[in-house]
Amino acid sequence: MKFTIGLAALAVGMMIAASPAGAADKKVLGVSIPAATHGWAGGLNWHAQQAKIELEKKYPDLTIALVTAGDATRQANDLEDLVQVRKIDALVILPFESAPLTEPVRQVKNAGKWVTIVDRGLTDPSIQDLYVAGNNPQMGTNSADFMVKKLGGKGNIVILRGIPTVIDNQRFDAFMDVVKKTDIKVLDSKYANWNRDDGFKVMQDFLARFPKIDAVWAQDDDITLGVIEAVKQAGRDKDMWILGGAGMKEMIKRVMDKDTLVPADVLYPPKMIADAMELTAKHLMEGAKLEKQYIIDATLVTPDNAKQYYYPDSSF
Amino acid sequence: MLAGVGIAKSFGPVQVLFGVDFAVDAGEVHALVGENGAGKSTLMKILAGYQPASSGTILVNGTPVSLRNSEVAERHGIVMIHQEFNLAETMTVAENIFLGREIIRRCLIDRPAMRQASARVLAELECSVDPDARISDLSVSEKQMVEIAKAVSRDVRVLIMDEPTAVLTGAETEVLFRLIRRLTTQGVGVVYISHKLNEVKAISDRVTVLRDGRLIVTEATGAVTPDDIARLMVGRDMSDMYPQQHRPSDNAPVVLTVEGVSVPGWVEGASFDLRRGEILGFAGLIGAGRTELMEGVVGLRSRSAGRVTAGGAKSIRSYDEAIAAGIAYLTEDRKKRGLLVDKPLTPNLTLLALPRYGRIFIDLAAEREAMDKAIDAFEIKASDIEMKVSSLSGGNQQKLLLAKIMQVEPKILIVDEPTRGIDVGTKHQIYLFLDEFARAGGSVIVISSEMPELIGLAHRVVVMREGRVTGALTGGDIDETNIVRYATGLSGVGADA
Amino acid sequence: MPEPSHAAHRASSARRRADLKAFGPFIALAALIVLGAVVNPVFLTPGNLINVLTRTAFTGIIAIGGTFIITTGGIDLSVGSLAAFASGIMIIVMNALTPQGLPPFLVVLLGTLAVMALSVFSGLVNGLLITRGRIEPFIVTLGTMGIFRSLVTYAANGGTLSLNTQIRGYYRPVYYGDILGITYPILVFAVVAAIGAIVLYRTRFGRYVTATGANEEVARYSAIHVDRIKLAAYGLQGLCVGLAVFLYVPRLGSASATTGLGWELEAIAAVIIGGTLMKGGSARIWGTVAGAIILALIDNILNLTGAISVYLNSAIQGCIIIIAVLVQRDAKSRP
Repeated sequence: MKFTIGLAALAVGMMIAASPAGAADKKVLGVSIPAATHGWAGGLNWHAQQAKIELEKKYPDLTIALVTAGDATRQANDLEDLVQVRKIDALVILPFESAPLTEPVRQVKNAGKWVTIVDRGLTDPSIQDLYVAGNNPQMGTNSADFMVKKLGGKGNIVILRGIPTVIDNQRFDAFMDVVKKTDIKVLDSKYANWNRDDGFKVMQDFLARFPKIDAVWAQDDDITLGVIEAVKQAGRDKDMWILGGAGMKEMIKRVMDKDTLVPADVLYPPKMIADAMELTAKHLMEGAKLEKQYIIDATLVTPDNAKQYYYPDSSF
Repeated sequence: MLAGVGIAKSFGPVQVLFGVDFAVDAGEVHALVGENGAGKSTLMKILAGYQPASSGTILVNGTPVSLRNSEVAERHGIVMIHQEFNLAETMTVAENIFLGREIIRRCLIDRPAMRQASARVLAELECSVDPDARISDLSVSEKQMVEIAKAVSRDVRVLIMDEPTAVLTGAETEVLFRLIRRLTTQGVGVVYISHKLNEVKAISDRVTVLRDGRLIVTEATGAVTPDDIARLMVGRDMSDMYPQQHRPSDNAPVVLTVEGVSVPGWVEGASFDLRRGEILGFAGLIGAGRTELMEGVVGLRSRSAGRVTAGGAKSIRSYDEAIAAGIAYLTEDRKKRGLLVDKPLTPNLTLLALPRYGRIFIDLAAEREAMDKAIDAFEIKASDIEMKVSSLSGGNQQKLLLAKIMQVEPKILIVDEPTRGIDVGTKHQIYLFLDEFARAGGSVIVISSEMPELIGLAHRVVVMREGRVTGALTGGDIDETNIVRYATGLSGVGADA
Repeated sequence: MPEPSHAAHRASSARRRADLKAFGPFIALAALIVLGAVVNPVFLTPGNLINVLTRTAFTGIIAIGGTFIITTGGIDLSVGSLAAFASGIMIIVMNALTPQGLPPFLVVLLGTLAVMALSVFSGLVNGLLITRGRIEPFIVTLGTMGIFRSLVTYAANGGTLSLNTQIRGYYRPVYYGDILGITYPILVFAVVAAIGAIVLYRTRFGRYVTATGANEEVARYSAIHVDRIKLAAYGLQGLCVGLAVFLYVPRLGSASATTGLGWELEAIAAVIIGGTLMKGGSARIWGTVAGAIILALIDNILNLTGAISVYLNSAIQGCIIIIAVLVQRDAKSRP
């Protein structure tokens, strides 16, 4: 696997100090992530699996215990098992929700384990040894900047939001901060729950309601898929274009192929879990010194750079 | 100690008790006997505060009291043990004994104290049940002991027991009798309701006979024989209620043969046969296994042994096969098993015979026509054909159920308590119908707990007791005394006497 | 004697209440249409109405099957997950067949047959566990709900199964195509509802389904094979799910772990809003149709207005559902 992509900061920040002292010990790395209940989380699982295989090959003394949970409570239970039963040395966790998991993760930390937090920060950042995350506000800002530029600062847009969460609010607020200052009119915004069918439904109704839409901010590629179908069905695919987000392979492909309906995509890669695992493993096995946090850029993917972000084998 | 004077009770227009006097003294066992529906349970429920009397006075130690509910009665020391026990199955013995008056210490239930107190009461009753045992794990007789312990722990002065031995074995009955005797030496008055006349003879000091809601006699038990009691329980003239009997010929062909049928838990090796044109009565006490035998015969209950043949060589195993062989069964429980009470009349009428109204699609016109015919033939009175069955009177429901069964044009009709809970007029109609059916070459089996009904209708009566056929009566031998003797074990197979 | 006339009067007024009850869902539907028209004139345009009805078709068809299940006194929570699983299998089958050089018609036909077989089989498994296994329907279908959902996630490797674009182009009109402006899913929904009504009200099977739910003992004492009736109802539900999947797959050409999420609740809600009793024994097919449309209209109307905060969407839905049922229950609360 390539670990360079989108992680320029990582490469710079990583200072590899050779310390073979710990290398002889058997180490266990615990990884706790949400179950694959939607596309992005599916990609997360795929990347975590891939990283597990790669890293265990690279470090024969490293075992990676990967667990997935369907909700926050189960994830907290998983943490206890990882510490008590699997005897982990370090934990990489993408918390389901910030608040409910803060205390359980603190317990892990108090047990003397290394803690890497991915994507969703805990309410008390002092717990984490390492924080790896995508940049939600930046995703909103970058999306807005692209829209403003492509629309020439004016036009009608609609927004399909995700699930009411902090992540969604961060993206939406940052987007609105930029758009407010222009002549772009946001006709309406509705939740589409990061779901294709809901994206289809909401877009159908938007199309019925608004005769003139210039662009759609779907902010997630699953939603985008539904939106595309609704727009095509209405025969208005020449009138508007859609900006999604996350970096789903189908969308990257469309960008690569210069699809006018999907001119660009904004990254929020599920691959961040693999990066976090690799960094933590490096620290664990080689004693690498790490920065406190790595924020992965919400890179704008255009036909020019799309090729770099295309993983045809990924499930996402 | 406890006395009811001139107790009368009506349910709506139906009067079930007519000015009955009844008293129980301290230290005596007073037996109360009578046929089903004679009003024994109603009388006792009134005396134990479960139902108000329509008129009459209740005296406790000579003072008139108002027993508004069972708690008030309990405060007067009057406790009734029902046939269906009143125990919380998932709780322990101690918890049940103290249910509703738990021993509380510092806001919490004092379990050790309750356990000790329960153990003391149970020991007094020579009962070895563990206070911590769960009720659901106890045998029926043990449950009964717990009920009695519960009553005793509440400082009982009058204990009313409704058919306490119906579910007990002989040995368990002995234990119960010892217990009753000990209670009476402590000055407790016991009312003992039972159908088992030899038990009544053995345990009671006085016996009161009720019939049709009226007091017939109160007598010292020593002065009467069980046969006397049986005669007093029955003995009324209902001759014009029943159609003139015809006799089927003795060599009429056998249409149904039942050999050695056993239904697990209910019936043991029952055999009988039924002739063309015959009305065969089945008598016995509640729980004797008559319903279960017949449900076993028609395949509604699984049998562990036995053969049932009707014309063909093959034994009937399912209700489908029974119907195909021309047998139909009218259940005793018309509301739970007979009719869809929330549905209109027509779908009820045709439900059993629906295959006759089309293979896949239902011929709605034929259904309507059948409904009209049934309304005429059975004189079903419904203000609106679309009304729910639940708004019909009991008698009209029963006629509808009978019409439903007749839809499959059976040759053999098995009717279980066909006149339960219906008015006299409808009863008469049903008797006439059954008689005509038999005259026309059909055969009928009637299960009834009303002996006059069997005597008035049946050509032959089979009597069952505790899951076995104990005897068969024909012709002039069919009378209530004989039936009661077989049903209560005074005569026949396995007679106690 | 005033008795009989009084009784007759009582009976007929009870009947009038029953009639009102039967019309309840249609009154609620009419009220909602008026509301929609007031909120946004776009609501009444044929384009919008066709869109909404087409979207209703999946849960509507599933709810027709659900009406049978609930009428027997059962419940099926597994339909949404089964729809997702069946969609996934259909896509896998068709993707596998496409490179074989079969004509597209045959590919879609075989995919459809596979889906129908799988769905009916799954319904029958539910039915067998309930009748033979003697397990509560709620528990059985809660279990299979999890199983089907897991299987589709597994089949999609946590991601999304996408239909081969070539076959998709051929298959797409099944969802998007129309006859005289009425899309195929609407037509299928209407036909399924009509067949459902005929089966339920006019056939022996329908009568037996109702009798079984009204009182299982009475049904048994009426020589009805209660277990077979229940089994058939669950098989029928499977068939309806299969049909819904057949219409659903061409819409987005994909299936994932989120496909059909919550369809079971929508279907059950449609059945109950329609006036079918949760405890069984009383079915209203056309009420179910109205119920399904009501649910879809609520979504649509909320999307057509900016007046209500999106944060309150679910609250509005909840209120309308409860009111729609309340309209019918008024007669029931009285003894």
